[in-house]
Amino acid sequence: MKKNKSKNKKLRILLVLLVILAVLVMVFLFGSRKEKIKHESHSAGADQVAGKKAEITMKQVTLFFLSDNDGLLHPEEREIPESDINSEARAVVEELIRGPQTGLMAVIPGNTRLRQLFVTTDGLAYVDLSRQVTEANFYGSSGEMAVVYSIVDSLAYNFKSIKKVSLLIEGNERETLGGHVDLSNPFLPDYSLIAR
Amino acid sequence: MKRFIKLYLAIIAALILFSGQVSHLTGAPAGAKAIPVIKVSVEDSSEATRVRISGGSNLDYNLKKSSESLVVTFRALSGLKLEKNAFTSQVIKSIDLAKSPEAYLLIIKTISPDFSYTSSARKNPFELNLNLKLKSGTAARETKPAETVPKNPPVKGKEVDRSVVNQAGEPASRVLDAGPFRKKDMKTIVIDPGHGGIEIGAKGNYGTLEKDVTLAVAKKLKERIEGELKYRVVMTRDSDVVVALDRRAAVANNNKADLFISIHANGSRRNNARGSETYFLSLNATDEESRRLAYFENNSGELENRLGEQDFDDLKLILWDMAQSAYLKQSSQLAEFVQGQLNQLLNTQNRGIKQAPFKVLTGVACPAILVEVAFITNPDEEKKLRSEEFQSQVAEALFGGLNEYFRLYEKP
Repeated sequence: MKKNKSKNKKLRILLVLLVILAVLVMVFLFGSRKEKIKHESHSAGADQVAGKKAEITMKQVTLFFLSDNDGLLHPEEREIPESDINSEARAVVEELIRGPQTGLMAVIPGNTRLRQLFVTTDGLAYVDLSRQVTEANFYGSSGEMAVVYSIVDSLAYNFKSIKKVSLLIEGNERETLGGHVDLSNPFLPDYSLIAR
Repeated sequence: MKRFIKLYLAIIAALILFSGQVSHLTGAPAGAKAIPVIKVSVEDSSEATRVRISGGSNLDYNLKKSSESLVVTFRALSGLKLEKNAFTSQVIKSIDLAKSPEAYLLIIKTISPDFSYTSSARKNPFELNLNLKLKSGTAARETKPAETVPKNPPVKGKEVDRSVVNQAGEPASRVLDAGPFRKKDMKTIVIDPGHGGIEIGAKGNYGTLEKDVTLAVAKKLKERIEGELKYRVVMTRDSDVVVALDRRAAVANNNKADLFISIHANGSRRNNARGSETYFLSLNATDEESRRLAYFENNSGELENRLGEQDFDDLKLILWDMAQSAYLKQSSQLAEFVQGQLNQLLNTQNRGIKQAPFKVLTGVACPAILVEVAFITNPDEEKKLRSEEFQSQVAEALFGGLNEYFRLYEKP
């Protein structure tokens, strides 16, 4: 009997030790915050699939395209499937590339591909575009500004959690699109290019 | 009973092993959490003072001399630690590590701004050796004329940095003077013809290339300015070659430019877009940066005056990357004058002065503008841009704008 009691006690201590060990392992494995960004961007696709299986609710967003009349950006409404921020932001940029449905003008070269888009927890959206975006022959200051700010303003306007936008080309930082606008720093939205 | 003791021992051993590993992993490098350490040692010899900076991994660095400091910039690091031994040196006052938003700065302060240095570096393991030498007879601190403060370019390109190293320590006037006739107070204007070489810029419907138009206008402006014998002119390119954007800013800063004017022809998806536009820099500043910039705008004055101050503030160094931020007011004034002249002379549609985050302007340490003369993507304006007459008119208008600006800022 006495032996049994002490055996139980020891088992309990052993159990407590194991739990502590388990907690330590968990903390160690999941503690690193920086890694999180990667996980989020990977799970984006999975979330979307899950969303589609259940029920697709649509969400209205505002896109900014160029007007041939005044050279300013004008709004155009669009419906996109409601999802997580990465997928929604992705849909916005893809719609911008696809171009306007009303009388406005497309800004981004039509053969450009959106390679990757993810939003960090502190509100910086990385938009990674294919190299075709740099291969336009209309890249004077105005042409470049229109491309950059149609993306930056459309994202910042629709998503409160996006504070800044960084443009990447083929996964890399690039100095400019065509020799003018500096891409090396993230952009804050500039709504002065939008018609009032 | 014995069995339990064995079990206990095993568990305790496992725990010790495990915790040892944790502290090993968090304390020292491996993976994302690694914080590189740089070791710095200082050694005086009769010849020079040697600073050895070593670190395990391959570090990307830039070197800049600024007044009485030599700054080593380490870019794109998430963390950096400094390990240094106590030292006494006849040349070096202190060595400290500072952090800017994008980089770590190792600031080596010397007792006098009149020093020269040489550097050599080795990759993997990283080692940077600096040899600092005071100019003879400058052991004590002197007040130096503003002229000798080198306007080192705030540029990132490696090629450019080499040239900085070569010039550092030389009196600026000796290296940079164009000729014997340069008067001390002669203004220097740097003209930057946009694009060049394989970077053709925008292209018109008739095949006109922006890079050709910008060079033609720039040459005409140069002639026009030199005709008056009042100003010195430096071109960032005078033939059809590629010039990196930060190199263009470096040309302005190395030549102690008083004005920087970048000439472009505009492009848009809209064929009917027309008119001339004059831009000055807008800052894509993050919150932290804008606070810093606000500080400089409120404490305005010329940047070199500030750099000459005795209590050299480390913060100011960081600004070399965005030198133009100190000149925004003057730049907008210059833009007003130039745009006004363009409107008057050319009767082009007024598109007003604008702000944009243009790469070529960010590093320029003087008033700087970018002029979009007309739209090359507009067939009518493209024809105009090809004509010599129009190009001369533009040059005349730009010249008028510069003159107006200088008149305003000329001291009696």
